Amino acid sequence: MRKGIFAVISVLILLLDFTSAKLIAAAASKPTPILSGPLAKLDIKDAVIETARGKPKGKLTIAQHFALDPGWLDPLEHSYVITQQHYDYLVHDALIKPMPQGEFTYSLAEHAEMTADFTKAAFRLRPGLKFHDGHPLTTQDVKWTYENYKGVNFKLFHDKLQRIEIIDDRTIIFHFKEPFVQFLDLYNGGLSGIGWIVPGHYYQKVGRDGFKANPMGAGPYKFVSQEAGVQMVFEAWDEYWRRSPGVKTIVVKGITDLTARMAGLQTGELDLAYGMTGKLLPRLMADRSLRWDRNFTGPWWLLFPGYNEAGSPFHDKRVRQAVSLAINRQFLVKQETQGIGIPWGNWVNQENRDALRGDGKDLPVPEYNPEKAKQLMGQAGFPNGFDFEWYVPFVPYFDMGERILTDLRTVGIRGKLQVLEGPGFRAKMAQGRKGYPGNRTIVQNVGPRPGGAQAEIGVYAVCGGSASFVCEPQIEKLWAKHEASVKPDERDGLIKAIQRILIEEYYFVPIYLNPFVHAVGPRVLPEGDGFHRYWDTLHAPYPWPWEVWEVKE
Amino acid sequence: MKKYILLRAFYSVITLWLLVTIIFAMVRLTGDPVKMKGDVGADKAYLERIRHDWGLDQPLYRQYTSYIGNLVLGDFGHSFEKSLPVRTIYFERLPNSLKLGFAAFVISMVLGVPLGMLSALRVNTWWDNVGKTIALLGLSMPGFFVGLVLIIVFGVQLHLLPVLGKGSSAFIWSNPSTWVTFWFKDWQYLAMPAFALGWYFAGAMLRITRSGMLDVLGSDYIKLVRLKGVPEQVVIAKHALKNSMIPLLTLAGLNLLIMVNVAVVIEVIFNWPGVGQLLYDGLSNRDFPMVQGVVLMSGVMIVVLNFVIDVLYGYVDPRIRLSR
Repeated sequence: MRKGIFAVISVLILLLDFTSAKLIAAAASKPTPILSGPLAKLDIKDAVIETARGKPKGKLTIAQHFALDPGWLDPLEHSYVITQQHYDYLVHDALIKPMPQGEFTYSLAEHAEMTADFTKAAFRLRPGLKFHDGHPLTTQDVKWTYENYKGVNFKLFHDKLQRIEIIDDRTIIFHFKEPFVQFLDLYNGGLSGIGWIVPGHYYQKVGRDGFKANPMGAGPYKFVSQEAGVQMVFEAWDEYWRRSPGVKTIVVKGITDLTARMAGLQTGELDLAYGMTGKLLPRLMADRSLRWDRNFTGPWWLLFPGYNEAGSPFHDKRVRQAVSLAINRQFLVKQETQGIGIPWGNWVNQENRDALRGDGKDLPVPEYNPEKAKQLMGQAGFPNGFDFEWYVPFVPYFDMGERILTDLRTVGIRGKLQVLEGPGFRAKMAQGRKGYPGNRTIVQNVGPRPGGAQAEIGVYAVCGGSASFVCEPQIEKLWAKHEASVKPDERDGLIKAIQRILIEEYYFVPIYLNPFVHAVGPRVLPEGDGFHRYWDTLHAPYPWPWEVWEVKE
Repeated sequence: MKKYILLRAFYSVITLWLLVTIIFAMVRLTGDPVKMKGDVGADKAYLERIRHDWGLDQPLYRQYTSYIGNLVLGDFGHSFEKSLPVRTIYFERLPNSLKLGFAAFVISMVLGVPLGMLSALRVNTWWDNVGKTIALLGLSMPGFFVGLVLIIVFGVQLHLLPVLGKGSSAFIWSNPSTWVTFWFKDWQYLAMPAFALGWYFAGAMLRITRSGMLDVLGSDYIKLVRLKGVPEQVVIAKHALKNSMIPLLTLAGLNLLIMVNVAVVIEVIFNWPGVGQLLYDGLSNRDFPMVQGVVLMSGVMIVVLNFVIDVLYGYVDPRIRLSR
């Protein structure tokens, strides 16, 4: 009997022990709060830290498809060019940034909070962080970077800020004058430069030009040298907090010519080349020594500048619908991308968390039905079709423009191709509807933009957008509500509702998901298909983070 | 003579000032570079900040006066696209262009001049036909085509030569040890772009050498020399070749300048980091200071060359300096 009681008590003690141990562990893993009061729910993934530190080896030579800008090495003057992040991920590090495990992933920060009213944001840095010169990275650097930032959205950040409170070397609180709902979206390394921490002591010492010529940060790679526009060389930094980089040396070359990039891959002078979609894609696919990744960046879509003017043939929804029905997307995908593109029913990048999917899940894949298109044209008062002024293709996709024009001609929509050079096209697009005189023009665009569907809509689809092509009262109403809301779920719902209107009313006509093909040579590890993991980071047109890359020695 | 030189120098300065003014106005007709930097959807404050940084918020006359003022001090401005001083970038690239230009120049002379002479001396024989065919191919096959064929054959198929860039050699202004080694290292990188660039000019050289030699060989004084019984080798080497070289050397100087400054296509195909690519990138991106800087420096080279030639003409032929 005694033995039995003793055994029961022992089991109970053991159970109690086990439970309390679990509770203690849970308490230990739960970070100490920084802010008081109700907090917003943040979905930030934990960083993957590899404790076993390998030795970096080999050289990775990358071909960027345009000339290199030393300005990309300076996060303080961050531009809208998404390519700049290629260099952010090499030399610098952010408090939070997109990583393969999530759009928001802890990096220099190990913990973040935001009050439920979005008026305060707080971060706690990891212990023992430092810059490449060994100087400790502290909250002073986070503050200095914020205060000296002059890149995209700098005015918004400065206008919203009330003060920055430094609690200690690792804890910092941003106090805002009013709810700053977008703060985390914008502060995330994927969207602007302000979250990439710059060493204030070094920047002040070498100055603006000096920093661009010889940048320094806390990222996995140390800058070694550059020839402006031509080449940049980076060396692995063994002391990077997350892991030891896999590749010892990374060389980035600016190679504008597609043929040169292809030849460089074939001769083994290059290991990774961007922008391989185009006329040489069949050759790339046929070369057994090379591998490639589809790397979808966003959908192609058509816009109708001036559609809302009564004199425009595109004023009638049926005509816009006829345009969509006339396009043979399957054929286009085959001709333009060797069949690797995907016909798509939305104009917003599919990886955005607030985007509706255009594969039939949220929005249908657009139908190809020229007969129905002709019927709609007849109902709209154009039984014999009509001539429009210009079809303006995205530069340099002129062949694609010709193919779409041919499809449109079969249903009686006849136009001419307007071939612009790159700067001209971008300058016109930046003006939105005002960039295109008349009201009989179709513009073809692809615009992967960080910041989600809300950013795309804010630019292209509302009356006040900087490149506004759509100005509709029903959208304005929803947009105003979105801008006033501090409830994430409500904002998300409103953005989705606007996307649905834009597609269902054919204000925008999506075509297919664009593969921006990247190719790798035989030195890149792992061999076989495993290399696709380098493209796992959401919204990344380039295969970062760089510390995970491996090559043969 | 002193007055003549001063007058030529004055003309040169006026020419450069006109060039600078015209290019300043022309680049501004191409559009707004700020919009390119900002991309679609850029916030206004950011664009204004860039416009201010680049000095484009100033009235045009002020932009012009400050540009000229800075030029006088040797400051070409900051590149919009490459974010560093134009002067730094230009002089980093110039040695590469000179290396490519000189190599292509040597190839054009080595191929063009002897073949042109041979054509003229064996006129209407199969030697002449070969020469004329080479000249025709040189002038009709564009450099980019020759370049691509070379890349495919010697780079991709045979793996004999690298196809990208200039190799690791660099001309570093602050390091005198590189001033000599730079020219003799990494020839394997230089071979294909130099040949592709020099090929066209070899055709031109061949043609002009041939026609120059034929003119001279048909002239009365050559006939007289031959009648005197002077050996044929001496007639050619001493009397014909020397006189036929005058138009050839004038053209060669000009060709060299072209090869150094505007080898854009070859530089792009072979990813050769020369000043031609700088101009190409500058034009593609509305990088006003870069375009202005590269054009100005090309202009300076041409004006200086012309100035030297004018002065030499003045020395050689007194009638020229007296007539001006």
